[in-house]
Amino acid sequence: MIQFDNVTRAYGSKLAVAGLNLDIPGGELFALLGPNGAGKTTSIKMLVGLLRPTSGTVRVCGYDVVRENQHASRLLGYVPDVPYLYDKLTGREFLEFIADMYGLDPEQSIRQLVRAISDFELTDFVDELTETYSHGMRQRLTFAAALLHQPTVLVIDEPMVGLDPRSARVVKDLLQTKAREGMTIFMSTHLLSVAEEIAHRVAIVDHGRLRFLGTVDQLRGELAVTHTSLEHLYLSLTATPGEILEGPGPVNPADASEPQSPARFGNP
Amino acid sequence: MTPNINVADPSETPEERSLANALTLEGEARAFWRMRWRMVRHALGQSLATARLRMSLVVFLSVFFWVGLFALFLEAFRFMNISIGHTATYGIIVQTIYSVFFASLMVMLILSAGIIIYSGLYCSAEAAFLLTMPIRAERIVQHKFQEAIAFSSWGFLLLGTPMLVAYGVESRAPWYYFVLLLPFMLTFVYIPGSIGAILCLVLVYRMPRLRQHWLVAIGSTTAIGLLVAAWASLSGGENDLLTPPWFLKVLSRLQFSQYRLLPSWWLSTGLLQAASKNPAPKLDYQPSWAQSLLFLSLLVANALFAHLLTMWTGSRLYRAGYSALHTQHTVRKRHKQFWLDEVLERSLLFLDPPMRYLILKDLRVFRRDPVQWSQFLIFFGLLTLYFVNIHRFSYEVNYIAWVNIISFLNLAVVGLILSTFTTRFIFPMISLEGRRFWILGLLPVKRDAILWSKFLFAAMISLIPCSLLILLSDAMLQITWMVIAVHQLVCVILCVGLSGIAVGLGATIPDLREQSPSKIAAGFGGTLNLVLSAIYILLVVLLTALPCHFFLVWRESSWAATWLAALLLGTLLSLGIGVAATLVPMRMGLAAFRKLET
Repeated sequence: MIQFDNVTRAYGSKLAVAGLNLDIPGGELFALLGPNGAGKTTSIKMLVGLLRPTSGTVRVCGYDVVRENQHASRLLGYVPDVPYLYDKLTGREFLEFIADMYGLDPEQSIRQLVRAISDFELTDFVDELTETYSHGMRQRLTFAAALLHQPTVLVIDEPMVGLDPRSARVVKDLLQTKAREGMTIFMSTHLLSVAEEIAHRVAIVDHGRLRFLGTVDQLRGELAVTHTSLEHLYLSLTATPGEILEGPGPVNPADASEPQSPARFGNP
Repeated sequence: MTPNINVADPSETPEERSLANALTLEGEARAFWRMRWRMVRHALGQSLATARLRMSLVVFLSVFFWVGLFALFLEAFRFMNISIGHTATYGIIVQTIYSVFFASLMVMLILSAGIIIYSGLYCSAEAAFLLTMPIRAERIVQHKFQEAIAFSSWGFLLLGTPMLVAYGVESRAPWYYFVLLLPFMLTFVYIPGSIGAILCLVLVYRMPRLRQHWLVAIGSTTAIGLLVAAWASLSGGENDLLTPPWFLKVLSRLQFSQYRLLPSWWLSTGLLQAASKNPAPKLDYQPSWAQSLLFLSLLVANALFAHLLTMWTGSRLYRAGYSALHTQHTVRKRHKQFWLDEVLERSLLFLDPPMRYLILKDLRVFRRDPVQWSQFLIFFGLLTLYFVNIHRFSYEVNYIAWVNIISFLNLAVVGLILSTFTTRFIFPMISLEGRRFWILGLLPVKRDAILWSKFLFAAMISLIPCSLLILLSDAMLQITWMVIAVHQLVCVILCVGLSGIAVGLGATIPDLREQSPSKIAAGFGGTLNLVLSAIYILLVVLLTALPCHFFLVWRESSWAATWLAALLLGTLLSLGIGVAATLVPMRMGLAAFRKLET
């Protein structure tokens, strides 16, 4: 469903993403992890068609996001880290605009709107102007909008930012349900616990390079071998040379740059 | 809802179903218009429900401005008609005025549309959102282009219609002249708007790396070119200024504005044809209304072509340009201690350290934002140019009372330009602290000190250039020491008062949600600030200028002592108004600022 074929994106002379290869099948919940400036958001922006790769190809359901942008966008739902809403529209009007953009016919539109309003518990405020919404309300409306046209692929940048524990639980359950229904979900997150809890596979990127790629079980296997926490493993993988990590776990940063297993580290 | 009725086929996969729902061009257009209509309806409804006074004031001021301009233009056309007294010469002058006016507006519209489209297409969160939607790139370009046209054309209409209607009334133009005004103007706006949009799209696509340098270079070159052209057109030998040979020379130099391929010439000629009851001498093979319609058709055809070209350019360059622009390597510049900061820090040692550092912070923000000081520089640069060349009008300089009037007019102009600066940059200062306000709110500094620091900062950066400019003007006009002293005092009163009004009002009616200073300045508070500032300037200048003028007229008569007393009284009154204009808004601002929640 999602393919990154040797994708590179440079900002001037600086490589934000270097030779990224990913192949994510349908129904997978995929989490992209990495420190600030690792290249997560750049990868997501290339996936949703905002930025173009310097080299390589990004495909959604086989459509090149650069050359066949409209086809690829039609199959995508996108939840950015900072949601954009039209202040002078009500939540319902915003959803109707999204339905219009995706060409839903009136009957489909009404059906999907009712479902979205119910699923995301928007009833209380959906007819108020979005400029009055709190961050949580904006986030829920953005999720509802991204899922309105029942996309094949859902892309989320930092899904838990600003959500209260209840909303975060709702989002996690929703993502798992959608993945079970066959939707491919690609999310970037700082929260290791979220990735650990719901992701089928995780990728850890650092300085634009893929440091780890594998299932959560494989990652847990690594955890068992080294007797270290997931957090420590992550920090080790993304540590700068010479950085000393405190806490349990003997993972050597130098080891992290050398893939221990082709299935888990480096490009697949 | 878009009438794209799709009958669900059970054998279709979700992908096939999604792809089958592709929006038509008309569907996209309808969706955007519906969204826009809803937003306008909500905004209007909100304003009518919660800000009637504000709305009424905006409407009143717009009407007042329009009527004032109309009266001015009507009187000017009447004056010209009577003074010239020769129909053909009057016609040539009006044609020149129209052509120059619309040619200048065309250049301004190209620049303003380009800048508005740049910020709408490449810097706005809405553009990033729309780029992730399954819509054509040209639809986004068109959406932002229409916004830019709306933003650009309201000023054009507000400035242009009073002049055109005044000419129609003065020349007793037939009814269809007034009917054709709007179609002509709106069609015309599309052409420079499209040129600005295409320039913007091509520039960003071709040279995203050099965007800032190029924009500054192109903007500066255009501004300097226009200045040089204007100066070259209007200047002449000192002795023949405002004489018939000078006038003919100026007319011939302005001939460029009547170049037949300029859309501004099509507009001016089309409108003048519509206003004319007789066939024009050179176009006498058809009635004037038909000639006018011919020019309108020419404008419409070119506007449509320009629009198509813009959309075509947008479809090919926009997405690639957006990506290129947003993947430029940001150069991280180290900012060292600047000598000006050091000078200021030392010269403000008498202030409390927190207030000193707050002023220093505002100065650094001001210095590092070229948008702020470059506008200040351009306006005051133009004034300097004018003051330096003021001696060219030396044929009247011997008559001291007139010189005095010119010197006070110069003072008022400096004040009015300063008021646009305080409205655009000082008034929004508190509003712009919006999201950062918690930083100031949590500082161990009294809130009053924050506001006073902004006032001191504003008064300081206003006073130095204004005072120097007035000194320059007075030196060029060879004015007496007494008047120079009065001017300097009035200058201080103006700078302090205008700073008080801007900072006080800015704190009284802040717009903490808005992040764009230009939008804050263009809102109700900014408009109110500008109007109050203008009234204040008029009051202060008139109270000193009139007695000073009469004192100089009758300086050798028995009335001299009376007018000197009147001048003293006027100066004291100005001082009193200045103190009130500073303290009243500041008190209101301080009270509101103390209550503001972090």
